[in-house]
Amino acid sequence: MHTKLVIVAGIRTPFTRMSTDLAHLSASDLGKHAVSSLLAHTSLDPEQIDEVIMGCVGQPADSANIARIIALRSGVPERVPASTVNRNCASGIESILSAHQKLLAGMGECFIVGGCESMSNYPLIYRNSAIEHFTELAKARSLKDRLVALSHFRPHDFSPLLGLQLGLSDPVSGLNMGETAEVLARDFELSREEQDAFALRSQERAIAAQADTQQEIAPIYTDGRAVLSDNGLRADSSLEKLSKLQTLFDKKTGSVTAGNASQITDGAVALLVASEAKAAEIGIEPLGYLSGYAVTGCDPKRMGIGPVQAIAAANKKTGQQLSDADVIEINEAFAAQVLAVLKALKDPTFAVKAGLEAPLGEITAEQLNPRGGAIALGHPVGATGARLVLSALKQLQASGRKRALVSVCVGGGQGTALWLER
Amino acid sequence: MKNIQLTQQDGITKLVFDRPNSSANIFDAATLLETQQAIEAVAADVSNKALIIRSAKSSIFIAGADIPSLSNASPGDLSSLIDLGHQVFNQIADLKIPTVAAIHGACLGGGYEIALACDWRIATEHTSTKIGLPETQLGILPAWGGTTRLSRLLTLPKALPLILAGKTLNTGAAKRKGLIDVAVHPAHLLNVATEFTKKGKRKEVPHTLVHNLASVKMIEATARKDLMNKTRGLYPAPLKALEVACKSVSQPLQAGFKLEKDAIITLASRAETKHLIGLFLESEKAKKQRIQGVDAHKIQSPVVIGSGIMGAGISYWLSSRGYSVLMQDIDNQALAKGMHRIHSQYQQAQVRHIISLTDSHAGMDRIYASSQRVNLMKKDLIIEAAVEALPLKQKIFKDLSQRCREDCILATNTSALPIKSLAESIKNPERVVGLHFFNPVHRMPLVEIVRAPSTSEVTLSTALQFVQKIGKTPVIVKDSPGFLVNRVLVPYLLEACKLFANGMDPMDIDQAMLEFGMPMGPLRLLDEVGLDVGKHVAETLIAAYSDRMSLPPMMESMIEQGCLGRKVGKGFYVYGKEQPEPNPLALQLQKNSGQIPKNSAEFLAELMSNEAARCLDEEIVESAEAIDLAMVLGTGYAPFRGGPLHYADECKLIRPKFFKDAPPIRMAG
Repeated sequence: MHTKLVIVAGIRTPFTRMSTDLAHLSASDLGKHAVSSLLAHTSLDPEQIDEVIMGCVGQPADSANIARIIALRSGVPERVPASTVNRNCASGIESILSAHQKLLAGMGECFIVGGCESMSNYPLIYRNSAIEHFTELAKARSLKDRLVALSHFRPHDFSPLLGLQLGLSDPVSGLNMGETAEVLARDFELSREEQDAFALRSQERAIAAQADTQQEIAPIYTDGRAVLSDNGLRADSSLEKLSKLQTLFDKKTGSVTAGNASQITDGAVALLVASEAKAAEIGIEPLGYLSGYAVTGCDPKRMGIGPVQAIAAANKKTGQQLSDADVIEINEAFAAQVLAVLKALKDPTFAVKAGLEAPLGEITAEQLNPRGGAIALGHPVGATGARLVLSALKQLQASGRKRALVSVCVGGGQGTALWLER
Repeated sequence: MKNIQLTQQDGITKLVFDRPNSSANIFDAATLLETQQAIEAVAADVSNKALIIRSAKSSIFIAGADIPSLSNASPGDLSSLIDLGHQVFNQIADLKIPTVAAIHGACLGGGYEIALACDWRIATEHTSTKIGLPETQLGILPAWGGTTRLSRLLTLPKALPLILAGKTLNTGAAKRKGLIDVAVHPAHLLNVATEFTKKGKRKEVPHTLVHNLASVKMIEATARKDLMNKTRGLYPAPLKALEVACKSVSQPLQAGFKLEKDAIITLASRAETKHLIGLFLESEKAKKQRIQGVDAHKIQSPVVIGSGIMGAGISYWLSSRGYSVLMQDIDNQALAKGMHRIHSQYQQAQVRHIISLTDSHAGMDRIYASSQRVNLMKKDLIIEAAVEALPLKQKIFKDLSQRCREDCILATNTSALPIKSLAESIKNPERVVGLHFFNPVHRMPLVEIVRAPSTSEVTLSTALQFVQKIGKTPVIVKDSPGFLVNRVLVPYLLEACKLFANGMDPMDIDQAMLEFGMPMGPLRLLDEVGLDVGKHVAETLIAAYSDRMSLPPMMESMIEQGCLGRKVGKGFYVYGKEQPEPNPLALQLQKNSGQIPKNSAEFLAELMSNEAARCLDEEIVESAEAIDLAMVLGTGYAPFRGGPLHYADECKLIRPKFFKDAPPIRMAG
């Protein structure tokens, strides 16, 4: 049985900051563009597809099972099923893992996977109290009943909840994502300066690699404009500028700022994955294949440390060590969170804090996020995981090297790690 | 009975039209006689409680009268055919039992007139269902009771726009305008028709308030004024229909039918009618034309190269016809503009109720725009619509030919460059063909299919059937400078420009041609096209036909002065105000010394006729009929004149004549 999942090709939309170039497009518009681009660039006959699987965290209310909507809008035949997956920030990766599991289960050999997110279009939500009052009003029959129902509304009812804020909060721990990063900064003794330096490095690397990264992108023509590339990069970033930014989550003693956290972004990614036999039939030189992976859980208050356990588990499964990786992509949800992961992997004291018996080793500066990360490029939550895989494989392709490790921390306290080879 | 099945169940008789060996039902004398027999049988059988009339065809109810037999009929034959129709439809109307027309598919002309004779009209909500009285488009009028009955059913103010414009409507619009009583899903057609039989006979509403003498007079005057504005009195049929409709509302039905008959007999003998019917038949022929014995490839995955006005226009059209289109351009800004243009076209189509919001979104989704070198290996037709420059197009063709399959058809939308020079630049030149769309693509029905010497029969056949499939009318033309339409048009435009240079008022030039029947004067047309673009096309022709064509220095001067036409706000006219006004800058360039012909319209029209005759001599197009059709569809050449070659006959410009005698055109008064 063919059990190896080959990543044949991939492409993505530009990643653009919330409320900028692509804000008027919905998550399904973005996903549709990514999938259409993939079909155009590969010339794949859509009849070949066995399922479309897309990650999406904040599925819009008008797009239940958004993967199905994207598939049909992209011209994928009606008979091909589609499902949407959600493992929060790892949803883009989850779509790949889901394809692999379906391959193993004999449920198909050729999948379009990926993820999409329009964080610009996260909704404003009526409070429960308001919903109660609206329901009462709708039920009211007589004029008197209606007036009574109206009189029950309070100004508070009309201040909506922000979908974005809710989405980025963990109801179990009661912390929002930024606050979990502050927890890690304290636990792992990470200074504001370290975090800002890491953020600057992300910006600098992203800018230096811009021409290479552009290879991943299919421009979008919308609203009379050509949106050609990512727009989160800041050529004018400096330690000085970063140091002046306000801390967002802990005003007095905190260290997490908008500058050393990932950006809130719109974007989508699509990958073509297939069994070895199918990939050979398609005939495109593949980007690489999935050689092993693991998904693990951790303390929701310290969700950012998730990659540590996940990497340990993935290494164990594949027999790989950190030093085997030519490229390591760890999603930059927060500078503090990536730095905590690095420290936990390297330092015996901190390894224990992350639940490891012994450190796994050091990730070198050369290995880690060579083309920058979500601090510069942005983090459209449902799409990010697929971008990391695409970017890692494109980097291997460019350098002619062999192995990559990709890992993502997940809101709610999880980690995903996967090994790729070519 | 051959054309009709008659069945009865539970006291309800179904009269089903099903013309043998045909996908269409039409009314000829034989079918009418059969209908008469059937109706007489229904009337005689007292057990009948109701009658439902329907069709057994999948996409046609009744398409109308048999046009060829109508146009060939002698006045006597025509008179008896009209009488027969009136008789039969009156017999339906006079039945004592309720009658229902259950309409699915095209219900046009006579098809709708039989429905009008029924008590109730039910139509399916289906894309194939089209309802209307298109007779005036053919130079005649609804004369089997349509003019009379529709006016009474809807009242004159609502019926006249439908009768005079001869538009066909989809089910939704037909319901809104009152042509049908209810619109239903096809699955429910018969059930609902049966329900309607229980309603009994329809009660006639007299509309005395609207149809009193004074108001009819006013309605007629307004409609006539509007009609004269639109047609300049060049089309006798709508004028006649207006007269009949307005006279008949205040008279007994039979008198109305008599008026209809007299009118159609008068109209049928007129040259305008012969021309309009001739064009209709020729366009039907073009839509069904085949390359004998050669199979066509099925096109599934077209590509458009270029996202300018033509590229975007073609992409829009193809996507609106259900094709998934890849639109490529090297310029990202051009692609953005092109996509925006396509988006606006979809929005307009949606605002005008041509398509639904959902369909417009789906149409947009079917276009993928990219400046990147995407994989073309699955593509089967590439239409190049890049900038008109031979070296550039050659480069594009060479590149495309290396990136796509060997049997992928490479078409160019060039309006002037020789297809041969593109074919020669690549391997497998047999797959190169010209597909010349006209601007604006969504409104111009013609596509010139340009056959180069190397073009294979399969390529030609595929191009032909593709053009037909997307709902355009093809004309196959030889690969020769300017092909057909531009070649005939350019000398006319150049001379119009020279008349202007010689001091003629631009408004006078344009007005003369509008009165001739052109949809737009030549100088306005040049402004619309753009003088620079016009010059570019003209130069190709001038190079080939320098004996009779030359570039007016005026055109050069205007281009130098930046008067490029509408797109820059000034050309022969200045734009921006409500009405374009002559451009003072251009007027200054006039010299008032040159010759001006006494009748400029005749002078200019003759140029077109002469060039069209040369095209026929050189076998650019295979027949005189096809040339005339192409000029009407490609330029809006006055349809009532039949085309430039019919005009040549009419004015005895060229001997021998191109066509059998048609009566001379008398200008309507």
